[in-house]
Amino acid sequence: MEDPHESWKDWFSAHGPKLLLFARQSTRCLADAEDVLQEAFVRFWRNQRKLGGEPLGLLFTSIRRTAIDLGRQKTRRVAREEIREEGEPVEPLFESPADPSADERRMVVERAIQALPAEQREVLVLKIWGERTFEQIAAQLEISPNTAASRYRYALTALRHQLTAADCHG
Amino acid sequence: MDEELLKLESELSALRPAQPSADLQLRLAQIRPVARTTARALRWSWLALPAAAALTLAYFNATPTAPSNAAPVVTASPTFKPVSAKNVLLDSRDDGYATLTDGTPVHRTREIYLDTITWKNPQTKASLTWSVPREEIRIIPVAFQ
Repeated sequence: MEDPHESWKDWFSAHGPKLLLFARQSTRCLADAEDVLQEAFVRFWRNQRKLGGEPLGLLFTSIRRTAIDLGRQKTRRVAREEIREEGEPVEPLFESPADPSADERRMVVERAIQALPAEQREVLVLKIWGERTFEQIAAQLEISPNTAASRYRYALTALRHQLTAADCHG
Repeated sequence: MDEELLKLESELSALRPAQPSADLQLRLAQIRPVARTTARALRWSWLALPAAAALTLAYFNATPTAPSNAAPVVTASPTFKPVSAKNVLLDSRDDGYATLTDGTPVHRTREIYLDTITWKNPQTKASLTWSVPREEIRIIPVAFQ
């Protein structure tokens, strides 16, 4: 008989990183993103897993809604909590490569991604690391596939400009 | 898409998203997100209702009656007063999006509670507890962009 405990662990270990990356696009810090991921994942695994449909799609949607709810609760808090202190270390979005020069490049790319407008970042993450089609992204974000494709293209173009500028300034 | 963008796309794809923290994995392991035993909880709570009803009947039927030849005795009828009311959330579910018969898109969630009310008779100190499950369905209209 299948052990459900092991099964969720395997599932989470395969998809957790990309789900967390997506959660981080709609939350203010890693701790919030992990809270959102925990809530969405537990709800999915307990209640939604057997409903049919595409599991990752359900989870991406659930994470987004949970993050929006959390954001609404937190907007009531004082502004000082929202402002990240200058120089405060930011937890990396991606794993650090062993090669120091590759790691430096990773940091530059991360900064460029974080400078993108949220709506473009969301599409970029779903497309590249979530491996979703534009149709799937459109359904999840409640936009048209053309809008999803445009946002993706704008994101890539903006990233290219930022990375070129970063390369020029060394 | 031009070649530069394709190159950028493949550079981005090569980045591996960071792993969730050990703390999150530990929290999940403690929660053990396996399916809840909601059905069992509901079966139990449905049993509570007839049990409470039977208890009430038994209590009132057990009130002793005076012999017919005895002098009539004036007794106050048992006065039960509610002393506590609790509700416990047993389960909550997100049904996702649905469409009403008139075509309105809605988001539907449901929560299942067990409501428990306790009455006490201050004179006899007898108490009566009544538990009943309640399902609350929320339908929130959704506006699509």
